Amino acid sequence: MITFEEVTKIYPPSTVGLERVTLHIDKGEFVFLVGPSGSGKSTFIRLVIREIQPDRGRIIVGGRDLATLRSWKVPYLRRNIGCVFQDFKLLPNKTAFENVMYALTVTGNATSTSKKKAAEILNLVGLGHKADSYPHELSGGEQQRVSIARAFVNHPPLLIADEPTGNLDPETSMGIMQLLYRINKTGTTVIMATHDREMVDRMRRRVIALDAGRVVRDQKRGGYGED
Amino acid sequence: MGKIDFFLTEALGSLRRNYFMTIAALVTVFLSILVLGGVLVFVYTTNALLKEVEQKVNISVYLKTDPDPSMDEVQELQTEILSWPEVKTALYVSKEDAWERLKEDFKDSPEVIESISGNPLPASFEITLNDPQTVETVASRFEGLPIVDDVRYGKDVAERLFNFTNQARNFLVIFIVLLGVVSILLISNTIRLSIFARKREVEIMKLVGATNWFIRWPFIIEGVAVGLIGAAAAVVVVLLGNSFLVGRIRESMPFMAIPLDAVPTLFVSLVLLAVGVVIGALGSALGLRRFLKV
Repeated sequence: MITFEEVTKIYPPSTVGLERVTLHIDKGEFVFLVGPSGSGKSTFIRLVIREIQPDRGRIIVGGRDLATLRSWKVPYLRRNIGCVFQDFKLLPNKTAFENVMYALTVTGNATSTSKKKAAEILNLVGLGHKADSYPHELSGGEQQRVSIARAFVNHPPLLIADEPTGNLDPETSMGIMQLLYRINKTGTTVIMATHDREMVDRMRRRVIALDAGRVVRDQKRGGYGED
Repeated sequence: MGKIDFFLTEALGSLRRNYFMTIAALVTVFLSILVLGGVLVFVYTTNALLKEVEQKVNISVYLKTDPDPSMDEVQELQTEILSWPEVKTALYVSKEDAWERLKEDFKDSPEVIESISGNPLPASFEITLNDPQTVETVASRFEGLPIVDDVRYGKDVAERLFNFTNQARNFLVIFIVLLGVVSILLISNTIRLSIFARKREVEIMKLVGATNWFIRWPFIIEGVAVGLIGAAAAVVVVLLGNSFLVGRIRESMPFMAIPLDAVPTLFVSLVLLAVGVVIGALGSALGLRRFLKV
């Protein structure tokens, strides 16, 4: 699904984002990306969705080499990657339903079947009754579920979550975790960057630990810290 | 729901939500187009007036009186004058015609006419030109002709008039260009402000996989709508103002014959509307450009 080969990203003038990172993530995996702030988690994610490009090395996502991907094709790459962020990134002037619909309309799929699809996915995340609420009328956990619904409505092969539980209380976080777990069960590869030690320890999934831009640990069924 | 529907709903929705910015942009477009329209109307009106004045620049050629030229000589000269390309008309005013005109001019004081013995007036040609600027060339051709006594064409008046009109035209052209630049800057700045307020939205759209054009269309529709509405309002004011002012000028200065069709209203309206639409669309596209590089 994702291959990094000796990837280095330096932010001018000399801040290291990632340094010589080589890793491979298979289709259908569930991967935690852990490490302190500034360790390169966000850089990794921004590289995968091609928000930024590396200074050295090669990145292959879904069989496509991102270095040779033409910039007008980037939107099509992103339609195959669902993104969930710590600050939800919902369109403030659209209802929950419209936010989910936007991801479908973007792909030119604004038909009546897609309306049904959007309604279904909102039910799936447990927000069917709040479809017509605006983001500011929803709690943090509810907003995050809307953003997950939006990320998943196209059934992308890859879903990336950047600290999705960072702003949520532990109980709500569990609910979000379970959603991501279910999404992973449908065959979607899930990559989740997180600070949440307890969560990582409980899930026992593959853990990739970053520090100062380097991969310091890559463990099949790991915990947040060293075992 | 088709894409166009979607874009239209998006555009209208955000125009309503950001009504303060919408109004700011509308007012900017309105004022710029209003000034532009005012200048256009002014240019057309002054141009028409200048044409009127220029038409009055004609040449009077007085023939010798002692002895009076024969009919053959007169005819020959008229044929020649009319063969010159610069000349529009050449009216022969015989001694008798001139005498009749004089009598007509002094009909309120016939004693003046009675005091004149015989008919001392010369015959003349009154010449109008296609292009008033050629007056000097044409006048110079009469020098040394045996039957011509004198040529009058108000040399100074003509020259000063042409100088003034030429300068006025140059000045107005520069003014219009400057004004155009200023309005585009103002409007694209206003639109950029309104887009800046939605920078985050654009970022999110890009993250969800929207193509640049998918993001751009609603903004451009917004810009066009603002440009069109602002320009339409300005056009109405310009046209009303024009007919009001022309009426006023006619009343107060009846001697200034402003032609009714001095301002091609349909053409001016269309130009102003087009400028509004182009400015709106361009302003949106330019304002958005920076934010699309995510």
